[in-house]
Formats: sequence, C-alpha cells, structure tokens
Amino acid sequence: MDVQKRTSSGLALAAVLMAVVSVWYTERPVAPPQTTWDAVTAEAKAGGYALIATEELARRHGRASSDLLLVDTRQEWEYRTGHIAGAVNFPMEPTWWARWRKAGELEDLLGTDKDRLLVFY
Amino acid sequence: MAVSLGYRNVYRDPFGFPKWQEQGLPIASSPAGLVAPMPADRNPSGDGSLQGWAMLWTLLGIFAGGLALNLTPCVYPMIPITVSFFGGRTGRDQPGQIKLVFHGICYLLGLALTNSTLGVVAALTGGLMGAMLQNPMVLTLIAGVLVLFATSLFGLWELRLPGFLAQAAGKSYSGYFGSLFMGLTLGVVAAPCIGPFVLGLLTWVAGMGNPWLGFLIFFVLSLGLGSPLFALALFSGQLQRLPRAGGWMMWVRKVMGWVLVGMAVYFIRPVLPETLKIALPVAVALGAGLHLGWLDKSPAAFKIFPWLKAGVGTLCLVLAALWITAWAMRGPGIDWRTYSEQTLRQATDQGKPIIIDFYADWCTPCRELEEVTFHHDEVVRQATENFVMVKVDVTRGGDPLHERLLQEHRIQGVPTIVFLDARGEERADLRLVDFLPPDAFLSRMAAIKPAGSAR
Repeated sequence: MDVQKRTSSGLALAAVLMAVVSVWYTERPVAPPQTTWDAVTAEAKAGGYALIATEELARRHGRASSDLLLVDTRQEWEYRTGHIAGAVNFPMEPTWWARWRKAGELEDLLGTDKDRLLVFY
Repeated sequence: MAVSLGYRNVYRDPFGFPKWQEQGLPIASSPAGLVAPMPADRNPSGDGSLQGWAMLWTLLGIFAGGLALNLTPCVYPMIPITVSFFGGRTGRDQPGQIKLVFHGICYLLGLALTNSTLGVVAALTGGLMGAMLQNPMVLTLIAGVLVLFATSLFGLWELRLPGFLAQAAGKSYSGYFGSLFMGLTLGVVAAPCIGPFVLGLLTWVAGMGNPWLGFLIFFVLSLGLGSPLFALALFSGQLQRLPRAGGWMMWVRKVMGWVLVGMAVYFIRPVLPETLKIALPVAVALGAGLHLGWLDKSPAAFKIFPWLKAGVGTLCLVLAALWITAWAMRGPGIDWRTYSEQTLRQATDQGKPIIIDFYADWCTPCRELEEVTFHHDEVVRQATENFVMVKVDVTRGGDPLHERLLQEHRIQGVPTIVFLDARGEERADLRLVDFLPPDAFLSRMAAIKPAGSAR
C-alpha cells in the first residue's frame, strides 16, 4: 500500500511537471526567427526552386505581356491588408500536413501550363 | 511544393511584400467586404406560418438542436443533480419501474415548461437573454445550492429530498409534483447554456410574432435538451436498486460532489474579483485532486482501484497546473476604452475604425472571445495600432447610457461586436454575435481597415 502510494505520488508529480513545462514551452514569447541569407538559399536548393530579388520581380511585373503568376502564401487577413498588385492569395502554413492537404487545390490554382513563371512570396 | 507538382519555372521572392511596398511598387488591397461571407448562423427565414411537413421538419430540427445542446458545458451541473435526485428518491420510497417513468416525464415537463416560458417572455419583451442571470444574488444562490448538494455527496449529511427544495417546497411537493418542481428549477440553471443558439431562435420567434408557436418551439427544444437527462433519471433509479458494490461507490459519489463544486465555481466566477477568478478554480482542482487521489480512505474493492484513484487525482492536479501556467504565461490583452462620445469623435478624427464589443461577464462566448481572440498577439497588435476598441459592459443592467446604446445599435443579445468604419458608420455585414477564432477575426479587421494604412 505504502509503495503504491509513493509511486503514484511520484508519477503525479512528474505529470504535473511535464504539463507545466509543455505549456511554458509552447506559450513562451519567442522573437521572430531571423533567417540568414545562407539558410534561404540552402532551402531553395533543397526545394528545387530559384530565388528572385524584388528588383528583378518588379521588372517582370512591369512587363505587360508576361505570363507571370504571383502567389501570396500569407494568411488571408495579411493579403487583405495589402499585397503585390495582381497576386493571388493561397494561404499556406509551412507544414508537411498543409502541403499534402492543399496539393490538389494548388494545382487547380496554378493551371495546366507547367512552364508558366510562378513566383511565391 | 509547386516543383513536386511538375512546374518548372518556380521562383520565390524571399523579401516578400514588405520590401516591395517599401520601394513604392504597385500594390493592391481588398478590404471591401469579405470574399466568402462567413456562415454567421443565419436563422431560417420564416414567412409567418409553418404548416404540415415544413412544421414537422422544423420541429425535428429543433429537437436535434436541443439534443446537441447537451454537448455544451452548462448542462453538466444538471447531470449529477439528476442522478442524486432520482437516486435519493428511489432509495427512500422505492417506486416501481412505471412510476419512475412518470417521475421522469414530470421532470422533463418541468424543465421544458421553464425554458419555454423564459423563451417566450424573452421573445415578447425583446430583452437580453440571460438578463435574469446577471444578478450576482442569483448566481450566488445557484452556486450555494450546488455546493449544498456536493456536501451531501461527500457524505456530510444524508440526502433525503434535495435539501434546498425540501425546505422551500415542504412535504406536499414530494410526489410527482416534486419531480415537476425539480425540473422547473433546473430549467433556470440550464437557461444560460442555451446561449447563441437560442438567440437566433429568439429573433426568429419574435419575427413571427406568434407566442404559441414560440412556446411550442422552445418546448420541443427543451424536450431535446432534456431527453438524455430523462434516460439518465431512469438509469440512476435502477442504479440505486443494485446491491451495494462496496466502498468504491462512496468514492464515485465524491467524484460527483467535486464535479458539483466545480460547477458552482463556474457559476460564481463572473462576479468574482480578478485574482479569485483564476485562484478559485485552481484551488478547487487542487483540492479535488488531492482528496480523490490520496486523502480519501475508501477501501479498495479491486486491484486497480488505487491506481484509478491516483489517475483521477493526477488528472485534477495537471489541470490545476495547466491553468495556472497558462494564466501566468498569458500575454497582454486589448486595452479597452469605455464608451464616450469623445472617444468616438477622436477615432473619427484620426481616421480609425471603431470596434465596439457588447460584453457581459455571464456570457460564455463573450469570455471566450476575451480570453482567446482578444489575447491573440496579432489581434492585440492590430487593435492597438489601427483601431479604437470600445467595450460596453452590460453585466449589470440599468445604465441609461448602455440602454440607449443597445437601442441605437439594435443589440439583441451578447456577445455582439459592432464594426464602425473610419467615418463612424456601421458595417452591418461584419457584425458578430458569436465567438470567432483569431484568424477569422483578423479577416474582419482587415476588411474594415482604411485602404491607406497597409500594416
């Protein structure tokens, strides 16, 4: 009986501690991650896409006869507040689950022309 | 990800919108209205009369809605009360199975009668739902009754007739009338939980202007709400006639007692001062955990029982720990202003839209909004930078200014959140009458923000 009581108290204490730590971990204020340029290029390489600078994008954006499709991947409310003229909104969380879930939808949005110039931001 | 779909010409602009905007390149915004109007739970449009099949289907739908209301937390206090009432009853005068069914029906009728009366009165007067329960006295009374029941379940005294009712009603009420009276009383307890669902229904009923139809609709709703309780009543009668299964039953009673204490805290919480609001629930969870898990000396009837006790105790302790950490970690909330003509004029001068939150402590969606949405980092940031946030607290009625505002904005109940644009005119399509998660709320904020201020 006594052994049982001691073990159960120990387990309870451990559970309480775990709860506190997990809440602290998920809720603690974090500074927005500052991604370095190297990390961005590495990510682009791994993902198989290229990077485009604002100036270059602006040049292509200005051309009337381009087949450019601009996709705004931010949340809908961010898009509403302001977005690059002509961009379409496709809210996307950076998780594999969102990618898998929204793949079909994205394909519909991008169309059948696989050579079209696509720019995400 | 577009790459994996086979697209060959894929780019990413890592600087994104902020830099684009900085350089003064062409931008656009679409704050005008919501692309897809949110399903704001519009009420079925009644043309004044319902007949035949339409009537039947409507009532069936409302019955199903009533059943669904059992999923809302405010029904919980009724469960242990029902069990203890019917359990105690059968323990005393041992009615037969048929009698028990009649008692159950009386109970159900009582419940339905209260709710439909409340519904019709509220519909006819057009008053705020839950206005009866805004009174701290009423809340304290309800909490007191719950604690009284709880002490009985803890074994401090024997429950013959439910204590408070026994004194109030005397012996003559102990028959079927007792069950009816019990149901009537419980209807009052259940009233706040019908919340936003009933609000939609109320406006619909008021629009039809037929009190009888209104009565019928709320009666059917309460039948839906009460039928699981009816089943529970029958079951708990059966339960008591089973032979005593040992000391662990006493422990189960104590669990129910703590559930009742928890509900008492839930009811009394709105009228508590700020620090007690968090301290009391934590204290109760702590007490329940220690009592149920370790202090209680109910003899172990079977092998897993001590572990079951420790498990339940741990659950309560973890809950208490979660609450207190979540509270300690919580960021700052929105800085609400009180309503005044000057605040409004100032907002219009600054070209800022105004969001008015009609709020009351006793309304659950209001508190949920306050605790979740209005504590969300981004919502708070947007609100402080681009909006003037005004809160009208109607917890205590009778303020002439508030009464006038309720009239002016045609507020049917709380929560109601009114969005005024920078010119001070209401955007009726954005009006909100229920809880809304932060993301969706940000969409509405974006929809009303002046086009010029992009961030």
